[in-house]
Amino acid sequence: MDSESSNVAFALIGHQDSWQKISGFVNLLRNTSQEAEIEKQKIAEVYSYFPPCAIFDIDVRSITGITAKGKYIETFISPDELTLKHWKNNISKVKQAADCASNLQAGIATLGGFTSIVLEGRVDMLNGNSKTCFTTGNTLTAAFIVKAIEKACKHFNKELKDQNILIIGSTGDIGSACVKYFSAKVNTLLLCARQQNLLYQQQKELLENNISAKESADVTTLLPEADIIIAIASSIIENFDPALCKKDVIICDAGYPKNLIDNLSEDLNERLFCGGMGIVNGGYDFTPSFHHQLYNFPIPNIGHGCLLEAVVLSFENKNIAYSTGKGNISPEKIEQMYDMAQKHGIREAPFFNTLRVWD
Amino acid sequence: MNTTTLTPEKTEIYWDVVTDMLSQAITGELVGMSNFATLTGTIDDVHEKMECAEHANCERGHAEGFIHLAKKYKLPVNINMDGYYWKNVRECFLRWANKPDFIGCIIIQEVILECFAVSMYKDVGNALEDHEIGQLFLCISKEEEEHIEHSIDILQAELDKDYAGFIQKVEDIHNDCMTILAEWSATVDLKGHCGVCRGECMKNSLYAAGMDIKSLRGNAINLYLKTLDRIGIPGTKSLQWIANLPM
Repeated sequence: MDSESSNVAFALIGHQDSWQKISGFVNLLRNTSQEAEIEKQKIAEVYSYFPPCAIFDIDVRSITGITAKGKYIETFISPDELTLKHWKNNISKVKQAADCASNLQAGIATLGGFTSIVLEGRVDMLNGNSKTCFTTGNTLTAAFIVKAIEKACKHFNKELKDQNILIIGSTGDIGSACVKYFSAKVNTLLLCARQQNLLYQQQKELLENNISAKESADVTTLLPEADIIIAIASSIIENFDPALCKKDVIICDAGYPKNLIDNLSEDLNERLFCGGMGIVNGGYDFTPSFHHQLYNFPIPNIGHGCLLEAVVLSFENKNIAYSTGKGNISPEKIEQMYDMAQKHGIREAPFFNTLRVWD
Repeated sequence: MNTTTLTPEKTEIYWDVVTDMLSQAITGELVGMSNFATLTGTIDDVHEKMECAEHANCERGHAEGFIHLAKKYKLPVNINMDGYYWKNVRECFLRWANKPDFIGCIIIQEVILECFAVSMYKDVGNALEDHEIGQLFLCISKEEEEHIEHSIDILQAELDKDYAGFIQKVEDIHNDCMTILAEWSATVDLKGHCGVCRGECMKNSLYAAGMDIKSLRGNAINLYLKTLDRIGIPGTKSLQWIANLPM
């Protein structure tokens, strides 16, 4: 179908997390004057009916001198539909996007943000007979989170071993990877998730291995004890009360859409960063250039870990389902993925949030 | 597993909506019949010529089927090929037929119009599926799918012959014809009354039959975009075309 299909090394499957981005994108496509821009409400009426398709090309450069060519496939899952109510429709869209990646004959495709959550990591559902391998991208996201936390501790002169780390979304794929990574490295793990049975099981296993851990489905009971917070839940955390946090808490908001970032006071924002993000030191380009509408960060060459995992695997000629779903991310795999990424100049992003860069 | 289907109460408004739906469908089928009939005069290939005549007859049969049920249930349908939107669609087709441009005509009739027919008939059929009229909409939706299928191979071959030229042609036709359908299916009538519905625009009453215009239009656009993708039109192009339609 696509005349350039043989050149597609990787495909990134994603969705947008805000109507502001979508409005900017659609109005850019309209190529009209500002007066003729359509309002969000009109766009929302049709947006989620668009079928998944590749909307721009991406060239990513490794510091080794090689370039990987890929495509971004938009699922057109609406920001208002990232909920259980729309599960069936979202699964259908992710499968259509995966078919699109297969039709492009991409070597490796990754599931960005909510798209891997929809499938609960069941990437095996996607490839059928195609040559495209699918990865959730969660290993590199987890790697960027844990490495950034270690860096943040140095930045604020904290000893990691003395810290209580609260992981909100601890039973999810990335959350559980963080639990495993930090289990022998911190003072106490504070575990928070919605599913009480999984949470209880997670704590039990840690305690059996003499690792200090507390669990609660109610984040407000754990917040006062947390020195570091990793928010990696699949939805916005409604009852997060910043007043309960320690004054010197470090917060890594690694959700997509962001779990906390619009919710915090000015002083907490000085200690909060967008987690799970990487920087591509070799740089990347989009064609057509939709940067400012869809992928605008305060620092150039920033990318989500889940998307960059496919790029790293492509650089390494490893078209394999590296991240396959819930519970399979080990500390060893995190280190291996992180080493591969660094080799190509891809590492955790400098600290930034919507208000400032503070690295 | 026991399931409960919520059937809309068959109120007077419900039957008004069904009547207007039938009026639109009959008028659309007659426009389709006329288009295929016109097409038989624009092509030299005898097999394509015969196929066009067959398609015209097929559309006539669909119109007759809808008319039959309207009579059976004493629904006062309004068949008006001179209504604003349908007249514009027909005139748009004639502009391309008079060139003569067989491929342009195929894009209008078998891609644009049939995508709307297949999708909207399916949605209407599903909403009225407990009724004979709904079953007919579903049945005709299936048959119209064949017209889309017929066009895919022909248009893919055209794309292969002249990639840039063909995409430009589809864009021109999209701007010409899809603009009319976008105005017709907008949440409010952008160009006034359609001339087919009786009384006020039916869009505000669709709820009475378990439908809404946003879904009807959205699903039609979805099928249209998927069909363009199957032909080989890049997604960035087709999205841009849709984004520039009146909303």
